[in-house]
Amino acid sequence: MTVLTEPSSFDVQAVVDEVWTTFLGGEPLVPVAPDFDPAGTFPGSRWDAAVTVSGAWHGLIVVSVNDAVAHAVTQAMLGLDDGDTAAHEDVVDALGELVNVIGGNIKSLMDGPSKLSLPLVAQAPIQAGGIVETCRLDLAWGSHRVWVTVGTRDEGGTS
Amino acid sequence: MISPSSFGFVADFLLRETAMVCEPGKEYLVEARLLPLARAAGVADVDRYVDLLRTDAVERGRAADALTINETSWFRDLAPYQAFTDVLLPQLLAARQDRRHLEIWSAACSSGQEAYSIAMLLDESLPPGWTYRIHATDVSPTMLERVRAGRYSQVEMNRGMPANRLVKYFTRVGREWEVSADLRRTITTEKINLAAPLPGIGLYDFVLLRNVLIYFDVDVKRDILRRFRARVAPDGFLMLGSTETTLDLDDTWIREAAGRAWVHRPRQPAGVRPATGTATATSPATPSTSHPTRLTTTGA
Amino acid sequence: MHALIIDDSRTMRSILRRIVVDLGFDVTEAGNGQEALTALEDGLEPDLCLIDWNMPLMDGYTFVTRVRADPRWRNITLMMVTTESEHGQIVRALAAGAHEYVIKPFTADAIVEKLELLGLAAQEVPA
Ligand SMILES: C[S@@+](CC[C@H](N)C(=O)[O-])C[C@H]1O[C@@H](n2cnc3c(N)ncnc32)[C@H](O)[C@@H]1O
Ligand SMILES: [Mg+2]
Repeated sequence: MTVLTEPSSFDVQAVVDEVWTTFLGGEPLVPVAPDFDPAGTFPGSRWDAAVTVSGAWHGLIVVSVNDAVAHAVTQAMLGLDDGDTAAHEDVVDALGELVNVIGGNIKSLMDGPSKLSLPLVAQAPIQAGGIVETCRLDLAWGSHRVWVTVGTRDEGGTS
Repeated sequence: MISPSSFGFVADFLLRETAMVCEPGKEYLVEARLLPLARAAGVADVDRYVDLLRTDAVERGRAADALTINETSWFRDLAPYQAFTDVLLPQLLAARQDRRHLEIWSAACSSGQEAYSIAMLLDESLPPGWTYRIHATDVSPTMLERVRAGRYSQVEMNRGMPANRLVKYFTRVGREWEVSADLRRTITTEKINLAAPLPGIGLYDFVLLRNVLIYFDVDVKRDILRRFRARVAPDGFLMLGSTETTLDLDDTWIREAAGRAWVHRPRQPAGVRPATGTATATSPATPSTSHPTRLTTTGA
Repeated sequence: MHALIIDDSRTMRSILRRIVVDLGFDVTEAGNGQEALTALEDGLEPDLCLIDWNMPLMDGYTFVTRVRADPRWRNITLMMVTTESEHGQIVRALAAGAHEYVIKPFTADAIVEKLELLGLAAQEVPA
């Protein structure tokens, strides 16, 4: 038996697709060539939503979007009409739930038991010490970009 | 948007290969289903892709797969499955005492939820010493491959699978759920096009032909029902989809109420009665409250 | 029929609310297990609880255990709706007394079908 030390990007992609299309319907996410450095500049104001996993596997899952996507996602999840704009707390809540669901499903790809943290949402890059990026998805949602990164604790994966 | 001539070509080959009717007005649907394939094949648009279909048999199989509707779920509509355990199975157990084996056919099985749902019910209710086989057939090789793999996504598992059966019959494999090898062993698969002559011989005790007749025109429906008549045991049962019926279509079938569902039985020539002879039609107007058995054994 | 929706995400509560309201339920919401337990103590009598697992203050698993330990709440149907999706977690929740389990993400159909299974939503009767 091989013990997985990190989820495969194929599985992460499949999880993200499933969560995204189930909650948001319509336009799917399409993989695109990497075109930004998440640690550097960001086109448009940036939202990061993250959860951590701790236990048999230690990981960090981050979804990064710009302001327009953050609002569109919130609007779709809350079922708001086109005219209504989402309040700041609504965006925080919706992105938090989105990453909670993605993170929970990624946690299940790994050997357990592990615990999922409550989501953390910020209008700034979220990082965690001792975590190295092991998977990154560059995705297009219509004309916008969506990034999902998975990091794993840098210590060989023993528990 | 797809050109009229491309659409005509697609509708025509779909009709020939699956008997499915694809009427004008469905252009949008055809476009939406074929666009991802066009992209994957590296052509500019759906019209270019249809040109490819004119000569490429493999691509044509892919297109047929993408255009057929595979929508299905576990224990779909519930009532038919309740009827199976509460009404049909007791009759079949009485009628098959000598053989102690049941032959079941899930025709147009899609990804297999229908076949495996029945397998779970039999696993739970067949007396010791009995065996069964479920023959799962579909026109789509992709669907049959899925039946054999017995793997389902999270979203598919959510569609009607009771939690107690999920933990009993499935294990997690990566992001999917895999049905137990014991159940998979009871299922056989075969590519069968309902619109073509049916291969094989032999009679089935229970046949599920659900949510597929709706895609055919009335002559094809009539023809399929006529040919199925020869494959259902005289004391066996045919179950159609909740919105489908043999009424006004074929008088060689008798429609009977079974719990809250309808079943069809081959009408016997005058004077001949099915071996069991126990089927008495109860009115579906006095439905399920009289059936205390629930499909799911929920927690305390 | 009354449903108590327990989830720390307002977004998720609103998604679930829309689905069960369409089935004719009245709805009360709670943001965590503690808040939900207080509502029950105060006399709320829901037919159904939809319960998230990961929440602050009291998680859904603890909530199920607490409800099952009290005979006053014996008739409430408990359905987990959560992103926790390991085989072992589902077994734990059922053993603690949850009746059903839906894994996020879900479609509205999935919730409706589970409630039909539980006898809390009417199945369509064939003509
Ligand atoms: C809507 S699904 C129904 C699945 C399942 N019986 C149920 O009720 O949930 C219809 C299935 O019919 C299959 N199908 C369509 N045309 C067919 C044909 N001519 N012969 C056999 N299967 C066909 C499709 O591939 C698809 O899997
Ligand atoms: Mg939560």
